[in-house]
Amino acid sequence: MSLPSMLKQVIAFVVCIASFQQAMAQTSVTGKVTDQSNGAPVPNVSVTIKGTSRGTATNINGVYVLSLQNGDAVLVFSSAGYETREIAVNGKSTIDVSFSISSTKLSEVVVIGYGSQSRKDVTGAVASVKGEQIQNLPVSSATQALQGRAAGVNVVRNGGSPGNTGSIRIRGTGTINNAEPLVVIDGIPAGDLNSVNPNDIASIEILKDASASAIYGTRAANGVVIVTTKRGNFEQPMRVSLNTYTGRSQARKTLEVLDAASLSLLKKERYVNDNIPVASEWNDPNNLVQRTDWQNELFGRGTTNNIDLSVSGGSAKSSFMISGGMYDEKGIITNSYFKRYSMRINSDHKIGNKLKIGQSLQLTRATDNSLNTLSSQDGLIWSAVRFMPFLPVKNSDGTWSSSQGSPNQYGDINNPIFTANSVDSRNTNTRLLANANAEYEIIKGLKLKANLGLDGNHYQGRSFNIIVSDQTRGNARNSLSNNFSESYSLLGEYFLSYSKVLGGLHKIDAVAGYTSQTFDGDYFSAVKRDFPNESMEQRYLDAGQNFGSINGNRTYDALQSAFGRFNYDFDKRYLLTATFRADGSSKFAPENRWGYFPAFSAGWRISNEKFFDVSFINDLKLTAGWGQLGNQNVSSLQYLALIGNVGQYSFGTNDVTGVAQRRLPNYLISWETAEMANLGLSAEMFNRSLQVNLNYFDKTTNDMLLAPPTIGTVGRLSIPDKNVGTLKNSGFEIDLNYNNKIGQVSYRVGGNAAFIKNKVVKLFDGNYIGSSAYGRMGQEISRTYEGMPIGIFYGWKTNGLYQTAQEISSDVNIKNDSRRTDGLIQPGDVRFLDLNGDGKITEADRTTIGSPHPKMVYGFNTDFNYKNFDLSLFFLGNAGVEIYNADRMQGIDPTYPFNMYAETLDRWNGPNTSNTIPRMTTKRNNLNHRTSDMFIENGSFLRLKNLSFGYTLDEKAASRIGVDRLRFYVTGQNVLTFTKYSGLDPELGYANDGNRQINVDYAQYPQSRSWILGLNVTF
Amino acid sequence: MYRGLMIVMTITMMGCKKDLLDSTPYAQATSANFWRNAEDAVSAANALYPLLGDEMFFGHPEQAWDICSDDQWRSGDWGNEQAIEDFTFDASNDQLNWNWSLKYEEISRANAIIINVPKIEMDANLRNRILGEAYFIRGLMYWHFYKIYGQVPIITEENVISNTYNVPKATIEQMEARIETDFKEAAQLLYLQNDGTNTGRPTKGAAWGYLSKLYLYKKDFPNAILYGNNVINGSYKLLNKFSDNFNADIIENSEMLFSIQRHRGWTEENMATWYYAPRPWDGWGFQEPTDDLASEFEAGDPRLKATMASIGDVITPGPTGGPVVYTAGLNNTGHYFRKHAAFRVEGDGLDHDLDIPLLRTADIYLVVAEAKIRSGQNGDGEINAVRKRAGLPNVTNAKMSNLIHERRVELAGENERHIDLIRWDKANIVNIVAHYAINRGQWKPGRQFQRPKHYYFALPQRQIDLSNGVLIQNPNYK
Repeated sequence: MSLPSMLKQVIAFVVCIASFQQAMAQTSVTGKVTDQSNGAPVPNVSVTIKGTSRGTATNINGVYVLSLQNGDAVLVFSSAGYETREIAVNGKSTIDVSFSISSTKLSEVVVIGYGSQSRKDVTGAVASVKGEQIQNLPVSSATQALQGRAAGVNVVRNGGSPGNTGSIRIRGTGTINNAEPLVVIDGIPAGDLNSVNPNDIASIEILKDASASAIYGTRAANGVVIVTTKRGNFEQPMRVSLNTYTGRSQARKTLEVLDAASLSLLKKERYVNDNIPVASEWNDPNNLVQRTDWQNELFGRGTTNNIDLSVSGGSAKSSFMISGGMYDEKGIITNSYFKRYSMRINSDHKIGNKLKIGQSLQLTRATDNSLNTLSSQDGLIWSAVRFMPFLPVKNSDGTWSSSQGSPNQYGDINNPIFTANSVDSRNTNTRLLANANAEYEIIKGLKLKANLGLDGNHYQGRSFNIIVSDQTRGNARNSLSNNFSESYSLLGEYFLSYSKVLGGLHKIDAVAGYTSQTFDGDYFSAVKRDFPNESMEQRYLDAGQNFGSINGNRTYDALQSAFGRFNYDFDKRYLLTATFRADGSSKFAPENRWGYFPAFSAGWRISNEKFFDVSFINDLKLTAGWGQLGNQNVSSLQYLALIGNVGQYSFGTNDVTGVAQRRLPNYLISWETAEMANLGLSAEMFNRSLQVNLNYFDKTTNDMLLAPPTIGTVGRLSIPDKNVGTLKNSGFEIDLNYNNKIGQVSYRVGGNAAFIKNKVVKLFDGNYIGSSAYGRMGQEISRTYEGMPIGIFYGWKTNGLYQTAQEISSDVNIKNDSRRTDGLIQPGDVRFLDLNGDGKITEADRTTIGSPHPKMVYGFNTDFNYKNFDLSLFFLGNAGVEIYNADRMQGIDPTYPFNMYAETLDRWNGPNTSNTIPRMTTKRNNLNHRTSDMFIENGSFLRLKNLSFGYTLDEKAASRIGVDRLRFYVTGQNVLTFTKYSGLDPELGYANDGNRQINVDYAQYPQSRSWILGLNVTF
Repeated sequence: MYRGLMIVMTITMMGCKKDLLDSTPYAQATSANFWRNAEDAVSAANALYPLLGDEMFFGHPEQAWDICSDDQWRSGDWGNEQAIEDFTFDASNDQLNWNWSLKYEEISRANAIIINVPKIEMDANLRNRILGEAYFIRGLMYWHFYKIYGQVPIITEENVISNTYNVPKATIEQMEARIETDFKEAAQLLYLQNDGTNTGRPTKGAAWGYLSKLYLYKKDFPNAILYGNNVINGSYKLLNKFSDNFNADIIENSEMLFSIQRHRGWTEENMATWYYAPRPWDGWGFQEPTDDLASEFEAGDPRLKATMASIGDVITPGPTGGPVVYTAGLNNTGHYFRKHAAFRVEGDGLDHDLDIPLLRTADIYLVVAEAKIRSGQNGDGEINAVRKRAGLPNVTNAKMSNLIHERRVELAGENERHIDLIRWDKANIVNIVAHYAINRGQWKPGRQFQRPKHYYFALPQRQIDLSNGVLIQNPNYK
């Protein structure tokens, strides 16, 4: 017995599912299902006997075996993505089926809220991504893998820190508040999809327009992502599938910084220019010796390892899928990691003829340590770029080097390698996501369904800060902070669905029901200080000598809703969908709790009209829809004036606590409403080899909840959100797919692109929304204004450098500026533009200097199959986007006691030596490095995101070693990047301030380039 | 089988209680269930103090205005502070906005007490003290606003009741009237002395002290003398030893009219200590005394060593090792302010029990002396009281120059010097433009003070933007 088959038997025993040995029957039929386009076997095709519930599914090689009873006449072959075929048995014992290339998207079954629909009947905008497209990529989450897969679904990567999966923006940024879509996992609205093992996913549907998503009214304003995990099939022989890959990653690039000698040269030049004595440090010959490239020391080799195993199968009455997996990613920065263990049990059961029950259960435990790579005060990469190049990593006595020799000259930065090595922080999330559902057929066509769900999360965070005495940024007291929180959400849904065809032409589908979901949260955190012994085994709260703080509280929220949807199809030509949802949210005061969200859409299948006669168009459908969606994703209890503890004080040694109001109330707070219209055209052409999908949408978010910037006279009370803003997103989306075959090479090419415009129509009182400031100068970079997109770059305009004193004295921009007359502006300083014409450079001369929103977000992929080889390439990109390179703004600024970018050598040091890099000075009189268009860069990029090359063993060879299927592959991630952007990574995303600030370079953790070697075995 | 399912569903449905959507604010109160009794009133009064020590309040920026003076160099690496020190700042300088809203938060907490506490049935004396604390803190905030910006919007309980927060700035006279009224109310209501469990709450003496200073600024010398004498003749005696004012172990201090209390392990750490202590000794190395200040001290004045460390001094900074010699390179100027940075006698680092001093009786002695001298009287008694404590010989027929010298050395590092020089410049006693134009070396080169522009700092641009035209910038910053 070969090893795999032995393993298979052991697993069969362990899982202990009711026997699904096939009952011996009088006759049986077998055969193989292949894809006509390339002859490849098609697994998981459902083969049922027409008119019964009996059936089976094809195995990994497309083979099925089905027992027949008397009277069984016709087999029905169906599978997602293929057109259903019916074939009469006629006494044959072997029936091979070739699914034609006409296997088109149109016959796919699309999962929509509270049901599913054939794609040809869909009147809303729904994108589908199949599980196989996103599997076995070296990413921790399906979120990352979704990037570039569907038009209008923009995954914004926020750097490349392990476990940081990015943000999903469907059809633009729909609100300045939380704009993440609702994620529904196996019917449970469940926050995010990062805990799901991507290899467990069967399909992801993205509901983009109002008509499609309104059934989730409350939380649908930012779109809905529906994740369906893999399940077993009835009558499916047991199948074991093993996936494993291992790989390595490394930094794509590093920033060029000055070497020790050049640094000294430039530092000295500053003093000479300023007429002050050169600090002695820069004449020290020891400081001319280049010792360390700090970025090379910080960036090492990362690794990614994944292994998962799934077992699935089914009898006539029960089916199951069990999987377990481990994903282990070590980042390119020392000590950064993300690790996830996951387990899943899904099963379905038929009880009698009318009742079906099923369940899904997911248990995951994910651990990471998020290193500080976002701070412009002490971020790790930020520090590595700036730390002195003449300092060694370690001194000759083995201690870490530091800038303590002269903090004023060498910068108050700690040795980044010391910091990376001494980080002791850990976040652990344990999640249980489970549901049980039942479906009972009351009368034919009328079903009662129930779905009960539980989403439990347990978070544990710890962070130990050691005593730092031999670095410039010291820490005299060590401390341990432990945080625990638990949240659990209970879901109950009950609904009726009805489906009926009347008179052959009128097809009706309706669903209506009730749902409620509660969200309970509980947390506490504790800090202790002064641990006499810092050894790892002593770093627990009991060992701390002094009490730091203890905090804890409880939260509760709930949603209650009624919903209904009605679909009508007349003669397969005219389609109509109407949806309605009423939602109550605990976030609002009783009077403003309920929101009502209607949506309508219609479709016209033009190609089914008798008059339609265009031979090369196989299918043509026009759809239009309109609807309203809600968003309640804001802080709770904002309608109350809350009074609570605001701080601790002592009178002598008498310790007291103060109590004060903490928030102004807004009793009127209520839903944000997004109103959306969609126009769509889908077509299949040229024998269905070309599929085109075009959509135009216009989405307006009204009553956007905004906390108006607090006028200082109010104090520090938190300001409640008010329903005052209006935001508009509109755009055009295109998806194209083409497949064909040349000789033995079959190929598919697909592409998608979205052109989306974002515009803030209304804020409050014509004012703006600010955002995080950069660095020690507190430099403002992003602002949000009416009439512009969210978070545009805001600063001064420049026109090169002053080359001569004469240019300064004659410059109209500063003709009334006292800094000119005081001699504070020198040749080599930046010429800022006086926009308001007062002859002075002031705050009032700031304006919009760039936009972080891409004009186009796109992706395209191409797959080739030749015999046993497969090759796929997947590209994605952004075009027409700008980045504010804040790291460079500080990186060429000589007034800081830091190392600088290598390009600073090209600075101005005499007339016409440079028109872009200002002179060396220690003074900030002209603020040469203030926020300006000098640091706006083109952020467009095109990435060969994935390249995968695989080889599948032929069937005979596979069976010789006892397996059904075996594939080896090599996959690369971020293989090539084409960009003009000078920073580490053009994908910067959101850093410190949510939607209010995008594409600002803080020297974030960059995405790495990785290669993996993988193996799939099925037996 | 399905019957069982129906039962499960029915139970679950029943579980959906009617008030599913009612959410409770846990561990917090609302205005409906607060302000019930004396305990609530005391808690509300206690909320007046914690913010004062915030890093962005008296923890640093509110102490940092004096980097403009000749006493100290900003040090640190904040570009915004360089611009403040050099008088090249514009209205968007962060230093101008750091604690603008913190001051109004204090005012907001005071206003809430002034509105609600009178309605509580409770002991009248305690109620008076609590109201007195609220008026005192409100007056203190407007006093600091007045010194820095001159004119700001005045928010009182009436604004809270009418919910009008976006109001124009008050006139100088209205500012002075507000401060006067609030401190007079406070002086009326506060206790003369607090018992040991309330050490550090303001007293009548503290309110009189600020009144005395206000009148001096207003050149109302008789009232400055009157209220100053209330302090001097009260129980707010000078300590015998000057340095005990900056000793973390001295808890009861009759001279300390008002300070921000620090208690290690309970309150926030003394943020000012972090800022003032030398970098290599676990501090952040801001605000370093200049040689110019050091040379102002008379020979043998013990206040020099209590005020600052200088090269050659022996200090025990901890946390490892014993006494060490303070050397050049620990700070740029070769000094740090010991008034704000003490090290624990246990030898384990910075002492975060050290309070942050805001007003001392010694200041009031010199206020009275100045009022007397400037109104043609003799101020020797008050100046000599301060000199005597320092072990220095008496001066006779003291002139403003004696007073100016004495204020500089007595109050160095206590955020008085720059604002004093402005006051004296306005009175034609000194020429601040010429004084600041003097080059005092690398750490205090000559700077261009523009008269009258720099008498007040600019109102924060952010606040002007937010006010939509209601808040008007100070003259010369437009």
